[in-house]
Amino acid sequence: MQIFIFVLVKMLLFGAKSPLDYSVFITIGFVAFNLFRHILDRSMSAFAGNKGLYAYKQVKPIDGLIARILVEVLISSIIATIFIIVGLYLNRDMSVENIGMVIIGFIWLIIFSFGSGLFISVIGIFFESFLKVVKLLLSPLMFISAVFYSMQNMPQTLQQLLYYNPLAHFIEMIHDNYFYVLNDDFVDYEYMLIWTIIPLYIGLLLYRKLEKGIISK
Amino acid sequence: MIELQNVTKYFRTPRGKKYILKDVSFSIPSDVNIGILGKNGAGKSTLMRMLGQIEFPNSGKIVSDKTFSWVMGVGGGFQNNMTGRANVKFVCRIYGKSKKEIDSSIEFVKEFSELGDYFEMPIRTYSSGMKSRLTFGLSLAFDFDYLLIDETLSVGDARFKKKSKEALMKKIESCNVLLVSHDMGTLRDICDVGIVSNNAQLHFFNDINDAIKMYNSINKER
Repeated sequence: MQIFIFVLVKMLLFGAKSPLDYSVFITIGFVAFNLFRHILDRSMSAFAGNKGLYAYKQVKPIDGLIARILVEVLISSIIATIFIIVGLYLNRDMSVENIGMVIIGFIWLIIFSFGSGLFISVIGIFFESFLKVVKLLLSPLMFISAVFYSMQNMPQTLQQLLYYNPLAHFIEMIHDNYFYVLNDDFVDYEYMLIWTIIPLYIGLLLYRKLEKGIISK
Repeated sequence: MIELQNVTKYFRTPRGKKYILKDVSFSIPSDVNIGILGKNGAGKSTLMRMLGQIEFPNSGKIVSDKTFSWVMGVGGGFQNNMTGRANVKFVCRIYGKSKKEIDSSIEFVKEFSELGDYFEMPIRTYSSGMKSRLTFGLSLAFDFDYLLIDETLSVGDARFKKKSKEALMKKIESCNVLLVSHDMGTLRDICDVGIVSNNAQLHFFNDINDAIKMYNSINKER
């Protein structure tokens, strides 16, 4: 539904003529963004939501979190498959420039989401208001994450500003490797790596220290 | 044999540390059924949870070569969105049962708990009595050295109560029970020895009746 509205708006504003198929472009953006958002959403409620299961000593809080992420990944894959089938049915041009990099992009995005999700939920278990702040930040995030536009078409100043948003790099990376007409000049792989490793590291470290506290809280 | 070595456990509260156990060293002999008594908030449940390894002492160690069940209490221990069957299956799996054993366990729990169609419905649709029926049925499907029971027996209708007590009596021929209860009758029937938890210390009694006496005298003080 969201995708449909955006495609319509874009068509009205710019006309349907464009070197790439906009509906495909936006669909990929949304699948990637929603994957990130849902993983974050689900991880934030994972520690508290699976509390009943910590009654069994075999179940650790992180198990529930990983299970939830796997479910989200599975759902996203099903949605993506449906979109591909619809695209084929509508005879869309869905040729991929570099399928390997697109897949790596998605896997990387999942790891990044897991790291940030873990980091946020570990902090959130002791500062509940932190979760609320993150939830608040998540909703406008879509507009600054290159979901329905390409960074290359943005003015220089805006590009510099959005550079700091790691998610924009991820979605841009997937977009750029998908479409022949786009190049990944904007994407800073090193920056993405930093944003993947640091939250993951701190999240795992804090989790190790606080695991017992989370179980018996 | 269960051994507590210099175990200290406290909870941080806005009004300072509340001690549940303060440097308690203690050993509980094997092959006896143990009743734990104490006032509300004295730390009976926490002690249970520590034995079940889902709560951890702030210092000291709890050593035992026996296997413990999970803490069976009123409600809890279930995933609300899954059916009774799925929950039973889940617990069987985390305790590493084979597929065949799982199937027979599920049949057993279904039969024992008498939940009928509710067995195939999500736990959130259950009443508290139904949950405890499921908990109880599930607990009988496993073989532990110690069953940790936190007042599970005190729920359910009269007939089921009787049935579950009989089943438990049969079960404790092959395993032992650690029971937290406020029902002296149940404690006398099931337990051999008693532990009274009071003022962050544990008092061990070789006879459950002595433990009950001490418990009653504590209650009179206030």
